[in-house]
Amino acid sequence: MASAKTQKVDVRPDKTVIRALALGGLLGGGGECAVDVKDGKIVRIRPFHYDWKYDPESFRPWKVTRNGKTYRPLFKSVPGPYSLAYKKRAYSPNRIKYPLIRVDWDPNGERNPQNRGKSKYRRISWDEATTIIANEIRRIHKQYGPLAIMVQGDGHGECKTINTPHGHSGRLFDMMGGFTQQVRNPDSWEGWYWGSKHVWGQGIQGMMDPSANLLKDIVENADMILFWGCDPERTPWAFDGQMASRLCYWWSEIGIKSVYICPDLNYGAAVHADKWIPVLPNTDAALQLAIIYVWLTEGTYKKDYVATHAVGMDKVADYVLGKEDGIPKTPEWASKKCGVPEWTIKALAREWAKKTTSIAHYFGGSYVRGPFSHEPGRLEVILLGMQGLGGPGVHQWQITYTGMPRAEGLRSTRFFNPQLSERLTKPVATTIRAWGKQLIPKTWIQQAIENPPLTFYGSGAIEIPTEDQFVKYTYPIDKEKGGTEIHMIWTDTPCRLTCWNHGNWTVEAFRNPKIECVVAQHPWLENDCLLADIILPSNTTFEVEDIVTNVRQGVNFHSIAIMEQAIHPIGESKSDYEVVLEVAKKLGLGEKFSENKTTYDLQKQVFDDMEIHHLISWEEFYNKKYFVFPTAKDWENDPPGFRKFYEDPKKNPLKTPSGLLEFSSERLAKHFPDDKERPPIPKWIEKSETHDERISSERAKMFPLLLMSNHGRWRTHAQGDDISWTREVPTCKVLGKDGYKYEPVWINPVDAEKRGIKDGDIVKVFNERGIVLCGARVWERVRPGVAYVDHGARYDPIIPGWVDRGGAINTIAPYGVSSRNAVGQATSGYLVDVQKVTEKDYEEWRKMDPEAFDAAFKRPYDPASGLRFDAWVVDEDCVESIGKEAK
Amino acid sequence: MKAFVIDVGICNGCYACQIACKDEHVGNDWTPYAKPQPDTGQFWMRLTEHIRGTVPKVKMHYIPILCQHCREAPCIKSCPINAIYRRDDGIVIIDPQKCTGCKSCVDSCPYDAIFFNEDLNIAQKCTGCTHLLDSGEWKVPRCVDVCPTEAIKFGEEEELKDLIAKAEVLKPERGCKPRVYYLRIPKKFIAGTVYDPVEKEVVIGAKCTLTDSKGRSRTATTDGFGDFWFEGLEVGTYNLKIEAKGFATKTFEKLNTEKDINLGDIPLSR
Repeated sequence: MASAKTQKVDVRPDKTVIRALALGGLLGGGGECAVDVKDGKIVRIRPFHYDWKYDPESFRPWKVTRNGKTYRPLFKSVPGPYSLAYKKRAYSPNRIKYPLIRVDWDPNGERNPQNRGKSKYRRISWDEATTIIANEIRRIHKQYGPLAIMVQGDGHGECKTINTPHGHSGRLFDMMGGFTQQVRNPDSWEGWYWGSKHVWGQGIQGMMDPSANLLKDIVENADMILFWGCDPERTPWAFDGQMASRLCYWWSEIGIKSVYICPDLNYGAAVHADKWIPVLPNTDAALQLAIIYVWLTEGTYKKDYVATHAVGMDKVADYVLGKEDGIPKTPEWASKKCGVPEWTIKALAREWAKKTTSIAHYFGGSYVRGPFSHEPGRLEVILLGMQGLGGPGVHQWQITYTGMPRAEGLRSTRFFNPQLSERLTKPVATTIRAWGKQLIPKTWIQQAIENPPLTFYGSGAIEIPTEDQFVKYTYPIDKEKGGTEIHMIWTDTPCRLTCWNHGNWTVEAFRNPKIECVVAQHPWLENDCLLADIILPSNTTFEVEDIVTNVRQGVNFHSIAIMEQAIHPIGESKSDYEVVLEVAKKLGLGEKFSENKTTYDLQKQVFDDMEIHHLISWEEFYNKKYFVFPTAKDWENDPPGFRKFYEDPKKNPLKTPSGLLEFSSERLAKHFPDDKERPPIPKWIEKSETHDERISSERAKMFPLLLMSNHGRWRTHAQGDDISWTREVPTCKVLGKDGYKYEPVWINPVDAEKRGIKDGDIVKVFNERGIVLCGARVWERVRPGVAYVDHGARYDPIIPGWVDRGGAINTIAPYGVSSRNAVGQATSGYLVDVQKVTEKDYEEWRKMDPEAFDAAFKRPYDPASGLRFDAWVVDEDCVESIGKEAK
Repeated sequence: MKAFVIDVGICNGCYACQIACKDEHVGNDWTPYAKPQPDTGQFWMRLTEHIRGTVPKVKMHYIPILCQHCREAPCIKSCPINAIYRRDDGIVIIDPQKCTGCKSCVDSCPYDAIFFNEDLNIAQKCTGCTHLLDSGEWKVPRCVDVCPTEAIKFGEEEELKDLIAKAEVLKPERGCKPRVYYLRIPKKFIAGTVYDPVEKEVVIGAKCTLTDSKGRSRTATTDGFGDFWFEGLEVGTYNLKIEAKGFATKTFEKLNTEKDINLGDIPLSR
């Protein structure tokens, strides 16, 4: 006792550095943290206190009030748990420490494409790796032309700026005559992007825009908020933190009713809902149509507003009332499809008509990512339009991500920070824009490889005008323009097979012999890396010197920060920028690529691009390492959302051909007269040439459950599946009796009992497209008729392309895209069954491919953090050393 | 004396507290306060999950559980070599240099808040992050700093006395007199949706009367969704009467709230 009382420990770090540890990537920051470093190791990660070096009064903190109660932002960040646990990712046993080459891929001999996803790797030097890659690039360019190389900027990554992931290789190939670009579709916005845009114009990926000053207007005017497929206790963690949670509690305090419409009792509903309406996955359109039916028949919508602000109400009314097809879209009709009792549908419609109501989202999960997702996307806008969209308290709100009080001196809050100059944004443009000479939508990579040529309408680029959806594209483009099929792929931060549509087909396509070389760059040996021939180890945010602009809304205060290097690179890893620079050097393009600019030069360039010299000098900023933007003095005067359109639609037209809300789209009618899946007015599509995924289907006899998939709570898409501390949470993983930690599948006790499934059982989730093993979570947090698995778990093939043990549910998502003229992904609301895994199953799988089966069960595996680097590498030395480092 | 007050009513279940505790103690050696915590399996701050009801009347809450820093700490009494002590500020510490690994304290704790580290052969638990507080650089433990909703509060008992007056402690019957206090731990509920099976409409404004075994009654009125909720119920037996104009009265007898009760969609006959 005496010893303990007299001894003290020195808890002070050697240095504290700033990081943005949300995982939205793409330049926008968020999840700000202070990282304490001692003796070259990360000691702790903690919320960032904005007032560390500033007087908080200088931030001019905002406030909103209602019923005498006041909400104010905190003077610290509120990061989600995986941001706080992020040091586990730097030291993960799954880190790639050295460049790797697939053991049976010989660029001068047999390439064995059929073994991608199956063969292991061996260590090579940076010199060897970059020489091979440079030679392959030269060979491919000579043999097929530059467009034979495809750049996959791919999905999701860390918040870095100079060293951002997502496609520095695009910048390099651009210097060499161009490249084929995989265009990332708006994977979290599909229904709004392919649907809502045709009703209210461009929006932000189709979500409501203008979208300023919504918080204040909703706080002051709304009586009810519909959280439609929205989980405020999950997705905000990925982009900025937990302010949405604080607001939801406060809304309950001030008497705003929270209604959750979703198949699962999601994490928000679990703690905030006044009412949970469990709807069957991807049947929201039926529910929405029935609400319109009630409003039409009872006359409880804003007819004057519709008359002056919208076109096509008559056509919608004809369809809903059954004049068009003889089927009135009554609550009774809808109830059979969506599983919500008729009386509850009517009650919802009436409550909505009576109360000032906004709809909340935070990106779309199941609700806007199913087959025909443009239909609920469009119907949502019609519903808001029928209740006077833009009026006090009537909005669609991406809660905290838009509509927050404006900051002084910050010109844009778009997630990719358009203020930054081209040199810095180009790598990210490889993901969000369509600037490659030849384009392939990400949803159609497998089609492009397996079944060329392709034609499609709309590139699907996240940042592109609505009109693009009427442009016809072909792949390959004309030969005279350099068109060619792709023969080499460079993938950066890969996660296609676990985050996009029908991953099993991705595996098959990557094994096509016409793909001669696959290069991957990533910090962790996971997912599509396992399909690569050469793997280059990039490093994590802790290992780089960088700068971040925390411009995304949802942070308590916007800021910009120098991110000093926290720790030395793990192994031989290099930053995402340096990885490409090394290859550029081998191609004689080193100086052209680097422009001889240092990190310091580029940090200064970011500062200059932000044009904040009038607020703080570069010297003071660089010395203090961060700057907090003050709230604009006049923010309260910003017109909320569509208010100007609401007040005078003629003077403030929308970006639609008519300038009004287009409940019926003439453009869709003109360009796609025969489209039965996305007709001019939104409809309920039972089945079509693209999808047959309803419970009315013949297939439902074999696969009677509707699979629902959302963004994971414990990951951002595929990021963060290896954090041993989140993997202890019961909703993150289920420890199977075989010692493996499985991705959970939620099923209702009613469905579980029918199948003899108990909580904790190892089960298979399956359809004709494959089998995914999961751990059963049997509980009341999901309605009957549904199997719920989040996307993004790391792929761990038992039989590559057929059976997965890792829980990568999107491997069995539909082949088809949103619909024939909308190349979005359809990764939720499809048919599956769930059954216990039996010994017979294992025997059968082993018979199918004994080699792959045995390898899967012999691979080193660590239940705490999951998959391991050494499982796929045949090199004793590197296996041992990475084990030590991890400890 | 230091105390924690935890408001369960605003705990969103994000696990930041549990994870920050690991961030502070796994791989970091704060002897003489604590030796490193194993990477997994120990929860000096442990979130527990509670799901109540059935679809679609389901509610959830989370309770963060840590060492309760008891005034009458059984662990102190259980330790045969006096390796566990209470500091002047009330925080209870297991001296990691003195502990001989007899495990008596692990068994003695009614809150399952003490863990045994097989590798180091010592018992371990929450230290209140006293290594940080003593440094003068920190005012609150890690779990408090990271809590996004400020559900976990820490400070002098005197400063927190207004909250403590409204709070409860866990397992009071054990007589440990914890210095961790809880606000708004939910009790049981009885809920349902009342509807008219002929018109296929919810019944709004139905008067629901709930009577406990001692004859005490409370009422609720169905809302715009036809829903009624009786929350904050003690475990016991209740009778429920639902009355609405134009409908026959409906009664439920001997509803036992051992578990929360969703009566589902309740049809009223005319």
